[in-house]
Amino acid sequence: MSAALEREPTLGTSSGDLILSVRGLEKHFPIKEGALRRVVGQVRAVDGVSFDIRRGETLGLVGESGCGKTTLGRCVSALSDPTGGAVYFGLSEADRDRLDRLRSDTLATPDEATPRELAELEQRHRIDLLRGQDWRRYRRNCQFVFQDAFASLNPRHLVKDIVGRPLKVYREASGADLTERVVELLEQVGMGRQHLYRYPHQFSGGQRQRISIARALALHPDLIVLDEPTSALDVSVQAQILNLLHDLQKERNLAYLFITHNLSVVRHMADRIVVMYLGKVAEAGDTASIFERPNHPYTEALLAANPDLADDPEAGMRTLEGSVPDPARPPQGCRFHTRCPYVTPICGWEVDDLVRWLENNEGMFDALSGVTRMSPFEAELGFDDERSAARFASALRSDSVPIPMRAAMEELACSERAVRIRFTEVPEVELTKRGHDHVAACVLDSLPGRGEFGRRQAGDDQQQSAAR
Amino acid sequence: MLTRAAVQGPALRSSAIVASVVDLKVHFRSKRGVVHAVDGVSFDVADGETVGLVGETGCGKSVTARSFLRLVPMPPGIKAGGAIMFRPRRLCEACRGEGCAVCGGTGRVPAACPACKGVGCGDCGATGEETLDLLSIPDARMREIRGNRIAMIFQDPGKALNPGLTIRDQIAEVFFQHRTAEILDAAGVSASSHDPGALLLRRQAGQKSRVLERILLAAPPFRAGRERIDAVVDGLIAEALAETQIPNPRKVMERYPHELSGGMRQRVMIAQALACNPDLLIADEPTTALDVTVQARILELIRELQQRRQTAVLYISHDLSLVRRICDRVAVMYAGRIAEMGPAARIFENPLHPYTRGLLAAIPNAATSRGRLAAIEGTVPELVDPPHSCRFAGRCPHEVGVCSEYDPPLGVVVEGQRAACFIHHEPPAGSGERPSYARRTR
Repeated sequence: MSAALEREPTLGTSSGDLILSVRGLEKHFPIKEGALRRVVGQVRAVDGVSFDIRRGETLGLVGESGCGKTTLGRCVSALSDPTGGAVYFGLSEADRDRLDRLRSDTLATPDEATPRELAELEQRHRIDLLRGQDWRRYRRNCQFVFQDAFASLNPRHLVKDIVGRPLKVYREASGADLTERVVELLEQVGMGRQHLYRYPHQFSGGQRQRISIARALALHPDLIVLDEPTSALDVSVQAQILNLLHDLQKERNLAYLFITHNLSVVRHMADRIVVMYLGKVAEAGDTASIFERPNHPYTEALLAANPDLADDPEAGMRTLEGSVPDPARPPQGCRFHTRCPYVTPICGWEVDDLVRWLENNEGMFDALSGVTRMSPFEAELGFDDERSAARFASALRSDSVPIPMRAAMEELACSERAVRIRFTEVPEVELTKRGHDHVAACVLDSLPGRGEFGRRQAGDDQQQSAAR
Repeated sequence: MLTRAAVQGPALRSSAIVASVVDLKVHFRSKRGVVHAVDGVSFDVADGETVGLVGETGCGKSVTARSFLRLVPMPPGIKAGGAIMFRPRRLCEACRGEGCAVCGGTGRVPAACPACKGVGCGDCGATGEETLDLLSIPDARMREIRGNRIAMIFQDPGKALNPGLTIRDQIAEVFFQHRTAEILDAAGVSASSHDPGALLLRRQAGQKSRVLERILLAAPPFRAGRERIDAVVDGLIAEALAETQIPNPRKVMERYPHELSGGMRQRVMIAQALACNPDLLIADEPTTALDVTVQARILELIRELQQRRQTAVLYISHDLSLVRRICDRVAVMYAGRIAEMGPAARIFENPLHPYTRGLLAAIPNAATSRGRLAAIEGTVPELVDPPHSCRFAGRCPHEVGVCSEYDPPLGVVVEGQRAACFIHHEPPAGSGERPSYARRTR
């Protein structure tokens, strides 16, 4: 585990000082069932995410809906409490390194009590442990702009109250001074004094988003979490808002955590990008590097599916098979292996994959009577009669199953009406370094079809596991 | 003064026109006055082509599309003028819909005009094909066309599917409504027999049975017939679902919409829309609620089905980069009017209208550098009693005096490409100077 943590990305170039460090963040939501609301499972919305944000930079967070990006944004801004891991605010570079070292030591020896040094560091910087002055300092320095600018502005409050509220709460201004400060803020976002005494419903979507931004700016924060700030807006208004955000960043040296699903927008805005899939980081790194040399098949698929005005219009859109798996039962090994076009035998084939394959083969699925799981990788499948069991076993040995899946089978035994099957057990895929400031969680060193090296490497992997 | 009378229908393509919108005006009554949501829109949709209708929120693109099926509520909507001419097709008798040389492989041929029996008269525009004005035909006739000859895919499949019906019941409705004869034929029920059993089954297949009839149909003498009908319909539904690449359609049929993912729901909607092999498919932002990876697959599906069946598609979207990928021709709408129209390749390579240019420049893409985007300043004008001028005046960077005094016509600029802008058209005599791209006025 400690080896894995050492390889954990310490993303970020040396420009600007640290504002926020996220380490192994987890947010699991319980699934409750029955009259007693017994907890029957966990939805792993965010499952071990680490990154740093520095002053003046934009970190883009991209992924499909349900990948946990909004939940992560809410945890970062303390709108919801993480169930594991932590968010640290205001660490110095040296403290950050010390913290990483201490954390990996503690994780390596979980029995021992937390060392005093770590406890002290956490007391001062971990956001859910902050109290009093430190807490207030964090809260005013981390602001949030929500996706839906209509729902996030109180319909019964005037613009003056909405934008002036943070200033009032932190006793920064009152009376005429407050009004002047609000006007100043409104002017910064391209609005003016004439808008002071109006209600949110009197504005267009773009203007409402400007009000949200003005409110977020009121206390001169270091970091603003922007959760899909432009996805509800038209392109011409989106361009205005993006320009505004860009100018404000330059002026105030702001850091943004920019959460979006629009790759064209994130490419335009972000310095660095974190690509999430099912609660985990699939790939992270410098924007240019990610867009030019994606190292994770998921990133590549996202890029291929994104229509861009600079592309060749005749080029077909490459698409992904299947849908996002249930986050309550994420796939073993690499979470993307159920949809990956380059899947290998060591990507984490498991019983669920087999059941999914069976579901799409009508004849055989109907004969299936039960599945007894010994582990995610091992199970016994019961059938109605011997013939279907034998048919199933022979189908598994034939070309009708994906070749990597066949190669991943360690044991396949057919006894009367049951088929016992075991796949190679593989650990979760860790992030590995792919270049300066670029990490990806994929068993392939580079994606196939991207140069001779990549193809040879992928072939080697397959041969190796086939040999095993 | 120039008027829209100068505008003729867009140039005819070699293939036949399925539908043409002629100077359509749909207004809405509101507290502040009459909103000119759609204010003189004209375009044609030819057989087998994909026409894109793009524009920002409130430009009238959805209202235009909904007018095809008369889905705009009246009141508050007002039909202020214009017509939507539609030429329904019927099954090709030579091949029974299989596709042959007579029908050009589409399995459908134009229906003959009932007034002139296919000779050509004033009603059908001398084409001899049946031509209906969708805005004035009786409701009963409209119901025959809706979902049958013209189908629609809505933006949010979660809202457009009935949450209380299984996928089977949902799609069965389309078949019962529009393909009753076919179902009865396949189930072996006589179409003319006065036998009470046949009568009951005919009513059942037309979704006309009442409670008592349904009880009778559940009883032994009639049950077998009803089960035959159900089996036929189930087969048709499974076939329709399988065509949209839904795995295991028989199982999906039993589910309710909430049990399916967004992409799956949209597939069900597409299956439902294409169930009757429509002549025109209207897709109103079909992928806005979906993720990019799912979006790509749905688009590919629509495109593939369209190419196979030669259905004309009217594709409505605000996403220009998408429209560029899938449309043959594009109409860019702004404030209730068409600003520019032409082949997709031309619109994106050489946009003629300042609004199209602004819109394209405002979208971040791989080639734009970081930093400022060229945003269009200002906001979309309110459409309450708009002035008689260019709708883009007030935001246009090349605006001159004439722009706010006269209405530019949507005339042909180069072969096949039209733009409504005085940069390309001579302003009326004595109205001052002409705007040009060489000069920015703001």
